[in-house]
Amino acid sequence: MLLFTAIALGAGHLYFISPSNASTLPEVRLGYLEHPGNALCQIAESKGLYRKEGLNVKLVRFADSTEGLAALESGKIDVGAFPTAETLRGIAKGMEFRIIAGGGTPLRDNLLTELDDSLKVEIESRGIVVSLSPVWLNSKKEELVRLTAALIRAYRTNQHQAKASRSVIAVTFDPNPDYWRLERIWRLLGLQDATMQRDFLASHVYEEIYCDALDRLLDYAADDVVFKDLFSKAVCTPNCCPVKETKSNKDQGGLKQ
Amino acid sequence: MKKIIALTLLLSLMASGVMASALPKLRVGYVPEPAHGLYFVAKEKGYFKDAGVDVELFQFGSAVEGISALKANKLDVGTFGTTAPLLFISKGTDFTFFGGMMIGGQAIVAKAERYAELSVKDINVFKGKKIGLVKLSTGDVVFRGALKKAGIDVKKDLTYVEFGSPTAVVEAVKKGAVDAGLLWPPHFSLAEKSSGLKVVHYLEEYYPKYTCCRIVANTKQFNADKDTYKRFLVGLIKAYRFFKTNQEDTVKIITRNLKIDEDIVRNETYIQKVSDSNPDPLRKGILDFWQNILQAGYIQQDYPVDKHINTDVYRQALEEVIKQEPGVKFYKDMLAFYKKNN
Repeated sequence: MLLFTAIALGAGHLYFISPSNASTLPEVRLGYLEHPGNALCQIAESKGLYRKEGLNVKLVRFADSTEGLAALESGKIDVGAFPTAETLRGIAKGMEFRIIAGGGTPLRDNLLTELDDSLKVEIESRGIVVSLSPVWLNSKKEELVRLTAALIRAYRTNQHQAKASRSVIAVTFDPNPDYWRLERIWRLLGLQDATMQRDFLASHVYEEIYCDALDRLLDYAADDVVFKDLFSKAVCTPNCCPVKETKSNKDQGGLKQ
Repeated sequence: MKKIIALTLLLSLMASGVMASALPKLRVGYVPEPAHGLYFVAKEKGYFKDAGVDVELFQFGSAVEGISALKANKLDVGTFGTTAPLLFISKGTDFTFFGGMMIGGQAIVAKAERYAELSVKDINVFKGKKIGLVKLSTGDVVFRGALKKAGIDVKKDLTYVEFGSPTAVVEAVKKGAVDAGLLWPPHFSLAEKSSGLKVVHYLEEYYPKYTCCRIVANTKQFNADKDTYKRFLVGLIKAYRFFKTNQEDTVKIITRNLKIDEDIVRNETYIQKVSDSNPDPLRKGILDFWQNILQAGYIQQDYPVDKHINTDVYRQALEEVIKQEPGVKFYKDMLAFYKKNN
């Protein structure tokens, strides 16, 4: 029900979009679970945001995260939106995923969550993260940036609609993969063992994709309140001397204000 | 006779080729900033080869791509600011700072008509103002530190407006969306030249000798091959002397390698002296920078970053150069500077 509520909240178009033929767009197979924290993936689909970002995303539903993570590891799906704790456990066991974005976390109606840090982290561990299959490692960066941009745009849509409807928020969304949040969950779950390098988790979090996607969106909507708010919270390594793409290049199958 | 000369030439060419290929190699990454000119000087004047190291330079358009290449062992040395390596170290990457490339360099720009108002020496002039900047750039971190030292609360007394690129900062200043913008070389010079903005302050006025652009390597590799890294620093130390004493030649070398306006290089490097291309590791400056990043909330956990700084190899390189050229006061002054800042 929460999922449907969240999808229903996602409405409205921000950008003028060039029509694209789906069959010519790069295909991305995105695995997901029926989980309220996956609403951003669904909103991006229902509002055509993947296509607007120049991607032909095929959503593949899984009954449980074990099956989904196995498909992600084998490359049967390219990207997967699965629960944070299960994804991190998979990484700790040697699954070579890269976390590229965050998702939604169902909230608990419990005052203790505000007071108890470990409880808060425990709840966060039940949220969703979007991970990349090892089969896609070191390739298709452009597609990943576009996919993440679509999820950020879905977040924006959701924020606006939630604000307009003044509905009670049951799921908190954040498309930021947020290394430090993941690190807290990693520690809470006791996943770091003595044989792992200190940067083991960091090597499996690909924050650059999120930063590039956000940077690209801000390039076209510099005054957008939601994008600016996300940017102010993100910790992105600054580019010294960015080699900018031309706007006409980016418009191809992408985003236009 | 001609055959003998040709044979001799061929043999000598082969010998030099063998010698060059026998030298240990270092793949060095950098971003295109004029203050990184020591690399080009050391390469073109043969200081690296003389020191016994074969350096190959790789230019990167983005610090994050460069630092990722270093982490992936596609580079042996990286020069990608101070923030990027510190962020990676905070998340567990085992890098070692062992040298420097740039001290100072950041500037505050404003519209020309606001020059008189904003060029007042007192940093309090920025109270109540909107400052545009690239988040986590050296300017961002150092200016926060300078404001804090002056007792100015960044959150209450002025407004930081964050942008993703120096181009966006320039546009915001031009449009009046912010009162002033923080930029680094050559962006503030380009903004003066192309956008009619004026530099109202250099951050060194508020925060002397702050670090920018440190030289880092993967710790494991650095520790396994300190001698090669020492040779590399010997080359840079000699290049620094050339940089200080052969200004016009240096301008031409930097201009040729970066394909940037010669006047901008000359003005930034030798007329305005906005930065210094000193190879000293500046350990105290790195630790100070770390505290500023931490206090800004960009890093959530303190960490003993000092164990990722090696100053010994630089000192050994400097002592070796002094031994080679004992009469040169310049190198003794560098040693005094080293002792003060490390």
